[in-house]
Amino acid sequence: MKTLLFLLLTFCSYNLFAQSTISGKVIDQQGIPIMGANVYLNGTYDGTATNDEGLFSFETTTAGTQTLIASSISFEPYSKSADITSFKGITIKLKDDVNTLDAVTVNAGTFNAGDNAKVTALKPLDIVTTAGALGDFVGALQTLPGTSNVAEDGRLFVRGGDAEETQIFVDDMRVFTPYSPSANNIPSRGRLSPFLFKGITFSTGGYSAEYGQALSSVLLLNSISEPQEEKTEISIMTVGLGLGNTQKWKKSSLSLNTSYINLAPYQNLYPDNNEWHKPIESIGGEAVYRYKFNNDGLLKVYGAYSSVNFDLTQEDINEVDGIRFGLKNRNLYINTSYQDFLEKDWSIATGVSFANDRSEIKYNNSDITDVENSAHLKIAFKKFFSSRYKLNFGAEYFITNFTEDYQDVIFENDFEFDNNIFSSFVETDIFFSKKFATKIGIRGEYSELLQELNISPRLSLAYKAGSNSQFSLAYGEFFQNPKNDYLKYNSDFTAENTTHYIANYQYVKNKQIFRAEAYYKNYGDLVKYDTPFALPTSSYNNSGSGFAKGLDIFWRDNKSIKNTEYWMSYSYLDTERDYQNYPTSATPDFASKHNASLVLKRWIEDWKSQVGLSYNYASGRSYTDPNKGGFLTEQAKSFNSLNANYAYLISPQKILYLSVSNVLGTKNVNGYQYASQANIDGMFDRRTITPATDRFFFIGFFWTISDNKDDNQLDNL
Amino acid sequence: MKSLLLIATFIFTFSLNAQTPYEKGMNEAFALWEQQKNTEAIQLFERIAAAETDNWLPSYYAGLIEIISSFGLKDEALLTSKLTRAKGFLDNASVISQDNPEIMISYALLNTAYIAFDGAKYGMTLSGENVAIYQKAQDIAPNNPRVLLGKTEWDMGTAKFFGKSIAPYCEDVERAIILFNKEEQTIPYYPYSGLERANEISSNCKKETSPN
Repeated sequence: MKTLLFLLLTFCSYNLFAQSTISGKVIDQQGIPIMGANVYLNGTYDGTATNDEGLFSFETTTAGTQTLIASSISFEPYSKSADITSFKGITIKLKDDVNTLDAVTVNAGTFNAGDNAKVTALKPLDIVTTAGALGDFVGALQTLPGTSNVAEDGRLFVRGGDAEETQIFVDDMRVFTPYSPSANNIPSRGRLSPFLFKGITFSTGGYSAEYGQALSSVLLLNSISEPQEEKTEISIMTVGLGLGNTQKWKKSSLSLNTSYINLAPYQNLYPDNNEWHKPIESIGGEAVYRYKFNNDGLLKVYGAYSSVNFDLTQEDINEVDGIRFGLKNRNLYINTSYQDFLEKDWSIATGVSFANDRSEIKYNNSDITDVENSAHLKIAFKKFFSSRYKLNFGAEYFITNFTEDYQDVIFENDFEFDNNIFSSFVETDIFFSKKFATKIGIRGEYSELLQELNISPRLSLAYKAGSNSQFSLAYGEFFQNPKNDYLKYNSDFTAENTTHYIANYQYVKNKQIFRAEAYYKNYGDLVKYDTPFALPTSSYNNSGSGFAKGLDIFWRDNKSIKNTEYWMSYSYLDTERDYQNYPTSATPDFASKHNASLVLKRWIEDWKSQVGLSYNYASGRSYTDPNKGGFLTEQAKSFNSLNANYAYLISPQKILYLSVSNVLGTKNVNGYQYASQANIDGMFDRRTITPATDRFFFIGFFWTISDNKDDNQLDNL
Repeated sequence: MKSLLLIATFIFTFSLNAQTPYEKGMNEAFALWEQQKNTEAIQLFERIAAAETDNWLPSYYAGLIEIISSFGLKDEALLTSKLTRAKGFLDNASVISQDNPEIMISYALLNTAYIAFDGAKYGMTLSGENVAIYQKAQDIAPNNPRVLLGKTEWDMGTAKFFGKSIAPYCEDVERAIILFNKEEQTIPYYPYSGLERANEISSNCKKETSPN
């Protein structure tokens, strides 16, 4: 018995003997103690939290090699395996976690929309509920600074660049013909329906080396990876009908959308200033198929088909009977992308996009048939060396084949060109600390048509000056081949280019964002020709140049007024260019010096309604008055438009939506057209080009049928 | 005397052994949580999780406390840091215990924390996700009172938002209370709680739907 007692006691004291103390201090990179960090030996119950001096000390009965772990919120976890005797008086330095919301972001030139971004300028719903945007995501982006209002065009004009200088990508694959064609002086709409996308990145300059062939801007759209549920959506609108259906299976899903738009009834009720022989009629269908592989791989196939048909006569000062313009367009777009995570922190993204676009145009007595076949192939790899250091590189190939068949009474001709470009890029993201980060990249592009290689370096830096504010800088060189309108006649060109310099300040606090960005852009090698229009017989060269400089201000406040969100944008733009057939350097007619917009949204609980207002202002654009001489020296009237919308939730799944653009009916002027011949007084007569219609009404009824009785199409509006 | 000493020693050793380190740790962690020492409780659950690699409960509780303590926060950076950590804990737990309805509804609670912070920013994507989570959880565990209560509370919130009557959902709350009372509590430290909350909602129901 005594032996037993002895043994027990010995065992007990042995236990006591084997206990050792782990102690030390946890500090951050600046040497400041971290309080409340969790310090423990992995796989044991032994551990503690640091005190307010960052000190810790605990006992353990384990021996030999153990792993000591230290973790604290917004720091990267620390772990060290060693003999426990070495864990005495140890100093542990924790690194800042650079993936937190308060870490610096490299963002010069860029706006993010969607819920996946750290700072969102536009929320997902904003894309579709902005008054005046009429469900076109481009319309919502036009309320951000850096864009110019060109009401008669509808496309994105960024920082003194024309619409062709902006490229649009879906899941990093190029969209070749993103806008539906329209007649002169009628704004075109984006072809892509906004509700297929969950995140939008809009860069107004200085963007990543991953994107090229865009002089001014890129718009990156990410499609939804996994729809939430099966549903059917029905839309009945004053301008047409829509039907959508989503099916889900265990690993895959399919969404289909079809729409039929016919403006004939609307135009009968509210005639505009065009003589329509065939009002705009369009049929479109989109399908997205997604498949998730076992190993996290995700395949997305997006296909869209649309056909647009219209015929009208538009007034023209030089033609008594006006100009007859008819168009039949059909467009097929397929985008396939695959993403996967590989071993050792590698990931791969690859894809193919293809577009076939055919337009039959009747322009007075001439018949023009344009066919464009384009494809984009891409493969990119990413390696995460750590959360502080990432490498991204890849290669891509763009193929474009364009043919035009021109026929009129006296003249017949065919034009064709192939514009194939091979590019590759490499880019690295480095976080020096939570406060200082950089993105450095380089892109090479070889054009088979122009037979030249262009190298474009890109660099961005960001520094977090305080807990709410940061400064960013960006620099980059950008190349773009001349547009199809010139390439079909001539290929002895060099790529047009710009250099961007951007300085950005951003302040984000508690649902408020202030952002100011100054930029300077230098254009070189712009295409020039020597005739009133680009013709097969013109002589072409690359001697054009230009600049754009300005300041963009953005303020968004979701806090100060209850149930109300608003944002304000102001852009100042000073730009001149000598290109096309300009006799001298001048401000182009699509650029306005001052652009401002205010968007306001209010949710009225008692009415179950959202009311939205938006106001757009653009100072007068330049035009040439032959009676006064000079080139683009005159200024037209400024543009003003107040738009309103109202969404009423009849029940969770039924929505009534009303929208009116230009409520006040402001008589806006899009420009002037002067007669080519002087009248008997020796003066040139002019015609004021006004919008086809001052106001536009839209009424729609949207009904969702799903198992989840709360889902609705609010996000589609 | 000797035998007494012997018995005493035995009892002493037995009582020491009666509480396994797991039980000791869990009890201590729950005590910390009860004292509102959330950070300490989370840290202890995290340490237990590191030792008990095939038990989902410690990770589950670490995540749950992180989520609950993030409601009402004003700082978005802190909110996302906490909820990202919480998601990490829940991910750990669901690797150990797949298709576990308790873990699934905690993901829904995590989404709700985001939505409560900024409905316009997070509501559109996350509310649909929540509906899908509750649906799936209910398919797996139709008689789990917490799943039923969570789903019902969510539906009530939506009904209130659209100005609809919450009366039809009150019946579900009563059904949840019955399920709570029927539930056999066999697994130690299993999150059986929720009856109090159900009673609370039930009494609100009676207030709101009573004629005056």
